[in-house]
Amino acid sequence: MNTDIRALQLLERDLDAVAARERDRLASVERALGDGGPGGPRRLPRRGRGGGGGRNWAGVAAAVVAMLVLAGGIGFLTQGTSPLRRVASDEAQTAGGDGGGAGAEMATPAPAPEEEAAREGGDDEQAFGNALQAPSVSDVSAESWATRDAAGTGPGVGAVPAQQGDLTKIVRDGRIGIVIADGSFSKGVSRVTVIARRNGGFVLSSSSRDERTGTLTLRIPAKRFDDTMLALRGLAGELDGRVDSQNITGEDVTAEFVDLGARLDILKQRRSLLRTLQNDATTSAEILRLSGLIENTQLEIENIQGRLNFLKDQVAEATIQVEVRERHAPGEEAGTDPENPSLTDSFELGVQGFLRVIGAIVVGLGYLIPVAVVAGAVYGVIRLVRRRDRVAS
Amino acid sequence: MAEELTDSELLIASRAEPEAFTELYRRHAEDLLRYFARRTLDPETAAELTAETFAEAFASRANYRDRQGVNGVAWLYGIARHRLGRFFRAGRVDAAARRKLGMPERELPPEDYERIEDLIDFAPIREALVEALDTLSDDQREAMRLRVIDGLDYAEVAQRLRCTQQNARQRVSRGLRKIALLLQERGMQLTTEVEA
Repeated sequence: MNTDIRALQLLERDLDAVAARERDRLASVERALGDGGPGGPRRLPRRGRGGGGGRNWAGVAAAVVAMLVLAGGIGFLTQGTSPLRRVASDEAQTAGGDGGGAGAEMATPAPAPEEEAAREGGDDEQAFGNALQAPSVSDVSAESWATRDAAGTGPGVGAVPAQQGDLTKIVRDGRIGIVIADGSFSKGVSRVTVIARRNGGFVLSSSSRDERTGTLTLRIPAKRFDDTMLALRGLAGELDGRVDSQNITGEDVTAEFVDLGARLDILKQRRSLLRTLQNDATTSAEILRLSGLIENTQLEIENIQGRLNFLKDQVAEATIQVEVRERHAPGEEAGTDPENPSLTDSFELGVQGFLRVIGAIVVGLGYLIPVAVVAGAVYGVIRLVRRRDRVAS
Repeated sequence: MAEELTDSELLIASRAEPEAFTELYRRHAEDLLRYFARRTLDPETAAELTAETFAEAFASRANYRDRQGVNGVAWLYGIARHRLGRFFRAGRVDAAARRKLGMPERELPPEDYERIEDLIDFAPIREALVEALDTLSDDQREAMRLRVIDGLDYAEVAQRLRCTQQNARQRVSRGLRKIALLLQERGMQLTTEVEA
């Protein structure tokens, strides 16, 4: 450079050094990408716009794709929704739906709820749902199932702390889909009604279409819930059919129960206090004000009592929804035939698959990002140390 | 062959061939130093701003787009103007771009003070300087008067002030910087020179 200013000469040297380092870095990136093309870094090409950055972008894109694939793999592994696993669960379900298998189950008086949940077939969603609900259901020991009904109709909840088993309140809901042989629909419906009656329950509502498919809603005493579900499964075998889907949910309402009971006690105490005050009141204004308060309190008491009664009812009686369908019944069910999927089904399957992949990637990134942060920090420290060494030398 | 390329082509080539950037530096370094010197009136600051501007230009060379009306040198001076504005606001030059690239922050060599001052044309600002001198400390004002108004060289300035030459240089340098900041604050244009 034609300058006698020393600072500019020094700066040129510094920039040269920086450029040389940068060239080494670019060369190592190219090597890493396996792009040992001819020419090498000595070339001084007239590249078009973005030409130099192109390779960098390709590298970054490749790294991102690799990262996403890795994340997706990890996500699938951790979620356990790999295709293999789904096929396995389908097979388990079909086996459970067989007549022989169901008959054997019927002989068992009261299977533990989590076993039942584990045996559940159905699609992924249901299996997933059951897995989530299993803990709340399995909280209940066999013993508490036996005594639970008494608790449901027993005295105030907070009043008897000694009987721990009585405190557990679970609302159970079941849903079962049965596919039976053609022409046996009405027989199936009447068998379901008989099963409900035999277990001390009744058919709350029912609907049917073309006398080939229909839905029945059963109300069954809570302690007969498992037996009823087993009997319904058995029915499938009896009518030369299979269990298409089954789903059991358990909602623990113990906390709400205790809470409502406590509030009820307080409100009752308040009501009697107000009544005492009203009796002692002398002026008409006071009497009026107190009676207004008593009225409000009474209203609240009734509200809570109503909700408590509803919950007691729900706990005492479980709801089971039974879908009965003949094997070759027409209607929307026909579309789900896996051999011959419709366009909308295929689209939905595609969307589901897409969402599942995205979900898996998100889960996987959750695992990867902390690792990447640590790796980045280590890399940064190494670079810093190296740079310091270089500056020092 | 780099010599044949335009500034824009050099900038684009420097993405893949970092050495091409040095050619750009060789072309414009002295002009840019003069640009800064005439605006800051301070050799130290001008040299630092020059280094920082080229460092930043190198670091962000991938951002340069060969748009119509923005040739390579205009882009470079865009960065320079930005740097200068930051200096006038903060009153100091930061070294972020140099640190990022691992470049050393160098002190200005003693012999450069005069050489860079020679790039500054003091004539148009002499009057404004006299007024601004009042704001300086006695030491700085005296050094400035001897150097800028009387036009003595640093050996003589140092002799008059009974200090070392380096000390005299620094007093003038700091005083000039202060004046430049002050004049900028008052919105006075220091130079009549047209940007490259």
